[in-house]
Amino acid sequence: MRNSNFNIYVTFSLVALTVLSSCDEFLDVKPKDALATSETVILDKSSAESALRGLYNALGDAGYYGTSFQSIGYLSGDNIQWTGSQSQVQEFINRKVNADNATISSAWNAIYRTINRANNILAAVLEIKDATLSESLRSQILGEAYFIRGLAYFDLARTWGGVPIVTSPTKAAGDNANVAKTSVSDTYAQALKDLDAAEPLLPETIDRYRATKKTVWALKARYYLYQNNYVKADEYATKIIADVRYKLLKPFNAFFASNARGTDESIFELFYNGTTEVNAHRNQWQPQSNGGTRQWAPNDALVKLLNDPTIGGTRSTLVAKDNQNRWYGNLYYRTPASDPSYIIRIAELYLIRAEARAQQDQLNDALNDLNAVRDRAGLLAITASSKEEILLTIENERRVEFALEPHRWFDLVRTGRADEVLNVTEPFRLVFPIPADQVLTDGDLVPQNDGY
Amino acid sequence: MNKKLLSIFFFQLTVALALAQENVKGIVKDDSGVPIPGATVNVKGTTKFAVTDIDGQFVLASAKEFPFSLQVNLVGYKSQEIEIYELIDEPLEVVLKNDNLLDEIVVVGYGTQERKDLIGSIVKVNPAEVKSIPTGSFDAQLQGKVSGVQISSNTSVPGETVNVRIRGATSINADNDPLYVIDGVFINSNSLQTLSTGGKSTSPIADINPSDIESIEVLKDAEATALYGSRGANGVVIITTKRGNFEQKPTINFNASYGWAKAQKLWDLATGPEHAQLVNEWWINSGIDDPKLNRTFANRPFRPVSEGGRGLPEEQQTYDRLSEVFRTAVLQNYDISLTGGTTNTKYYIGAGYNKQESILRPIDFSRASFKVNLDQKVTDKLQIGVSNVLTRSDRNQGRAGDGPQGGILQAALHTPTYLSPYNESGVLVGRAGFDNVTLLMQNYDIGSVSLRYIGNIYGEAELIPGLTFRSSFGVDYNNYDESEYWNTFTLLGAQGGLATSSVSQFTSLLNEQTLSYKKEIGKHSFGALVGNTLQSDVLTRTYAEGRGFASNDLKTISAAATTASTQSWTKSNLASFFAKINYGFNSRYLIDVSLRADGSSRFGADNKWGYFPSVGAAWRVKQENFLKDVNVISDLKLRTSFGVIGNQNGIGNFAAQELWSGSASYQNNPGLSPQQLSNADLKWETTRQFNVGVDVGLLADRISFEFNVYNKYTTNGLLLVALPAKTGFSSYWKNGAEISNKGFEFAITSQNISKRDFSWTTSFNISRNVNNIEKLENPLKYGSRDLILQQEGHPLYSFWVYKEHGVDPQTGNVIYDEVVKDGKITTEDRQIYGSIWPDFFGGITNNLNYKGFDLSVFFAFQYGNQIYNHNRFFGEGGGARDAARVIFKHNINRWQKPGDITDVPRPDDVNRNNYKDGGSRWLEDGSFLRLRSLTLGYTVPSNVAQRLNLSSLRFYVAGSNLLLFTNYTGLDPESASSSSQNEQGIDLGTPPQPRSIQFGINLSL
Repeated sequence: MRNSNFNIYVTFSLVALTVLSSCDEFLDVKPKDALATSETVILDKSSAESALRGLYNALGDAGYYGTSFQSIGYLSGDNIQWTGSQSQVQEFINRKVNADNATISSAWNAIYRTINRANNILAAVLEIKDATLSESLRSQILGEAYFIRGLAYFDLARTWGGVPIVTSPTKAAGDNANVAKTSVSDTYAQALKDLDAAEPLLPETIDRYRATKKTVWALKARYYLYQNNYVKADEYATKIIADVRYKLLKPFNAFFASNARGTDESIFELFYNGTTEVNAHRNQWQPQSNGGTRQWAPNDALVKLLNDPTIGGTRSTLVAKDNQNRWYGNLYYRTPASDPSYIIRIAELYLIRAEARAQQDQLNDALNDLNAVRDRAGLLAITASSKEEILLTIENERRVEFALEPHRWFDLVRTGRADEVLNVTEPFRLVFPIPADQVLTDGDLVPQNDGY
Repeated sequence: MNKKLLSIFFFQLTVALALAQENVKGIVKDDSGVPIPGATVNVKGTTKFAVTDIDGQFVLASAKEFPFSLQVNLVGYKSQEIEIYELIDEPLEVVLKNDNLLDEIVVVGYGTQERKDLIGSIVKVNPAEVKSIPTGSFDAQLQGKVSGVQISSNTSVPGETVNVRIRGATSINADNDPLYVIDGVFINSNSLQTLSTGGKSTSPIADINPSDIESIEVLKDAEATALYGSRGANGVVIITTKRGNFEQKPTINFNASYGWAKAQKLWDLATGPEHAQLVNEWWINSGIDDPKLNRTFANRPFRPVSEGGRGLPEEQQTYDRLSEVFRTAVLQNYDISLTGGTTNTKYYIGAGYNKQESILRPIDFSRASFKVNLDQKVTDKLQIGVSNVLTRSDRNQGRAGDGPQGGILQAALHTPTYLSPYNESGVLVGRAGFDNVTLLMQNYDIGSVSLRYIGNIYGEAELIPGLTFRSSFGVDYNNYDESEYWNTFTLLGAQGGLATSSVSQFTSLLNEQTLSYKKEIGKHSFGALVGNTLQSDVLTRTYAEGRGFASNDLKTISAAATTASTQSWTKSNLASFFAKINYGFNSRYLIDVSLRADGSSRFGADNKWGYFPSVGAAWRVKQENFLKDVNVISDLKLRTSFGVIGNQNGIGNFAAQELWSGSASYQNNPGLSPQQLSNADLKWETTRQFNVGVDVGLLADRISFEFNVYNKYTTNGLLLVALPAKTGFSSYWKNGAEISNKGFEFAITSQNISKRDFSWTTSFNISRNVNNIEKLENPLKYGSRDLILQQEGHPLYSFWVYKEHGVDPQTGNVIYDEVVKDGKITTEDRQIYGSIWPDFFGGITNNLNYKGFDLSVFFAFQYGNQIYNHNRFFGEGGGARDAARVIFKHNINRWQKPGDITDVPRPDDVNRNNYKDGGSRWLEDGSFLRLRSLTLGYTVPSNVAQRLNLSSLRFYVAGSNLLLFTNYTGLDPESASSSSQNEQGIDLGTPPQPRSIQFGINLSL
């Protein structure tokens, strides 16, 4: 008995001793599916390339080009109707968006998440000392990060107007917390600054899933069109159109139907593999019988336009009918959900140049570009005579050419025709409210955009 | 006779026996020597009995064979059983102790105590009383039984989580669930479910077979929970399972029950013609409001088919879908156990099978369990024992909550009644974005199997008299295997079928050492306890999915065209040391002090350790001389305690660390992305609690009551705080919130009548908890359409709505409360209006026994809480949702012309004016009084039982939810579509708790 008592004492003491000495180790648990670190993670060629892919991943997030941001652009136009249950969707269609709208909140968050990833790369990649990281690759990585950040500020500016400009990575909770809101012109200026920085860093190659110098030019063409700088818009659009590797494909659906991707039509599209990289967009468009929710659908007016052989032409393939005879949008349709998100297509560059040239009174050149797009859609060339008539034709052409892509609203806002076409009588509604939860959390965003 | 008492309080006495040739003579006295009249004395196993006379004396014919047992019973006193080996001259003297429960053994943290020595606030529940309430898990059965414990069932789906809140809720983003300890093992109470069932999740507590439970102790105040330190801020529920007794002859118990459950009522829906009429009216109204819409009478949706419309309203059909999904559910339960013991060994072996269908097809829950508890005396000083339970919970699951695809009540309830289930070609189709009900019911195929082992092995040695060392090793292992198969007839599988499989494995290892010492010197009693605990929890998960199957008969992922898979691993460790000292003087003054130190792997390097002290004191006033002779008061004790307890549950295991994810891939190659900001300062959430209580017994404890007042205050509340999104992060973990809970609890038990053949006991409890967010930098929104707002100065889970003041009879428009007087109704006009917290809640139980009959009637109630009727929000959309949603009958009462007095406004466009998301007219009073259970039993006389070779036999019929009194217009004021703690009180797509009736038998041999 005595002995067993002694043994127990010993055991207990041993256990206690072991426990005390190994406590620190015991309480230090690291994850296995994430890197837990306070040091920088981007420190060599491989991690820099991974971080860059992480940046594209953010650009293609469901909040950004994955769905939400894109939906702001087309829902607010006059092509789409609301057919689901979330009345926040209808706020865009009615063009009376509230500050607590969930879509604008997720888009805002996703865009700034993208910017932070770009900022991490821009800050770290310059410092990397890795012999295997060639200078050209270093430049390319930086260039792509600048491009994506430029695109992000461009999207912020055209959606919300002036926003906070953040150019350094957030490493700790207090970082960047006090960056003030800027004006709309400052925000656009930042976008241009980033595109200007990207341009010399990037190779003049073609990559339809990643940014190259060509991608920068294409976005610059759009940028200058938004700025009403028609000379520059013309100049940059021409740089792209001149490259024969970008082509208007026939028929119209050649760039998206039959699981096509990365076609000659495409200047920049985002890649999704459908499993680890999912484009959730189809879920909103496809009818229930195809496994979607048909949260929104082409409205009667658009269906009529697309099915009119003199207006829609082969673009009628953008819509289809489900088993209940209801129309649905069919640009995003793949299973698994691997549809690309289309950011810039060559058709847009033709229409940018058409508009830029019409504005510069080069009417014939404008018509040539416009008719190139019409011809591709299987339509006859038009012969408009006045500048105004051509501009209106371009506007209408863009409506059907980009029927399910996020252009219509931004087009009508930049040309100042939102009131006339969409009955947006209150000018403050031309930019969206800053998400209400952001105004609440972030004193720098007070006051809210005018009118909201 | 109260057999329960008999079996629970089993005592033996050694007595001097009196001889009287054929008769046993004796006298029954209380412990102060006063004779007790009216006590029943019977010879065990026979019908022979006597009742003591005014002098406490009895005479009874002896049994034929020695030894035999005498049972002495009287309500209000502890029953006694006396073995008679021979008859002697002297009258047998029996001392009956007051059955005031003061000597009841109560399980406390790391030990047991007699109730009279308790300082903390602990409620002991006898699970037998509520066992027949058909829920999957025992926690749901406790509703209304324990003061201070609020339980909301959420759903009628058996085996899904219920909300259990002990003295309110202390945290926003950390857990508010109590700690569950089963036979010394801290078990996991967080669902391992990964597949979507519309916001609900399965309850790991449902893996426990209620029949194996001997007692449940609910520890509420800081003194009681102090030894659980980091785990006890939300209270502790200690479950003790059944064990045998030494020297007990083997006893077999068998219980079986079978019954049915059915919904009390279903929703009242508009017919097809009514639906069409309302849609037309909305169409025309919105055209009047906004002429640009070009909506007129001429182009109204329901116009003649010849005009291109859908047909006139009166031409519409009405299709019933609800009857396809609701059924009369079958409930069955069987369990059998063997208990007993020899001199050195005691055992309990139990097996059970329980199957409950939900009233909502195709959901059901079944559980098979097997339990072995064994204790062995190795020597006089050393005892070793094990507790084991192995359970398999098998579930057919369904989406009974939020979400369009696969949602059962979306398909059955939310689909407009005028829409045919067939399309023009006669094929069954889903409507309004939801599945076709018939197809869904035929093809539902989701389910899970939870395989759970909870075990504990201990050794306990008395080192020197009074000093005991105990060491134990415990395991909670759960293998949780889920699979879904959505074939092409369902929306989710429409594209070639979808199969998913997820296997989660949770392992919690626990090692504990305690050294305890007890000593009494004269009037002084001392106790001391030191101990340590090491706990390590690991959760691993493997998930795979496959899409694209060549046929609906191919269901495994390997047969799919495309597959994807993920794996995850997470771990947390906890090291704890604790000590407690208690001292009592003369059984009058009791005091104890304890301290626990917890180190958690979840916190920042410098903040891993938290220190949690507590102190408690009690004064047994009745023991004082000045109360000794006040007979009306049989007990009086004052208690108080103060302590600090921690909380870390529910936050991420790596919440304090900076994390970079490697899964942000692009073009099939891995991508790195920042995932979480670090917070090295992240530390324990702490709750300090002050408790004052009084326990009173009156009239020989025929009336006893307990009253507690408490004040809990939580600081450093763990919070997923919003960061400005411009930083690239939306939130990070921080200590921020402060939350208070103040309240009182009152529980009373009265033995109204206690006669030999008739007894009647009433128990009543009522509690009030006032919750308030004392500090929170930025409000947090939760729930569908931001219906819930957590904001400083308001209780947790407050509803955030547009407050409405009815409908203007002139315009038919809703009169909204304008917070910002700018002439328009915007988000700024949303305000907090009510919360999920009731003003009062509790229960009342009446137990009656008449001869062999027993009747138990138990009501639970809740008063003053709000519930958002989200079904009604959709169903009373005024026609604007057209073909996308059902319309409820009540919507027919809409305003139509000036002068109409109604609570349903004029139909207009959604969110334009009258049908705003978050309008307060769908926020309803959720008060209720529910006849939670009614049980009538009959125990056959023991002589009859014996003729059948049984030691006892009882038949019963049990009903649950037979009556419900509420103003709530939904089906069940407890319904909630989400199991998430921040989204309580929103009723959507959830089946109500049904009425049920079960027939059962208990027998033992």
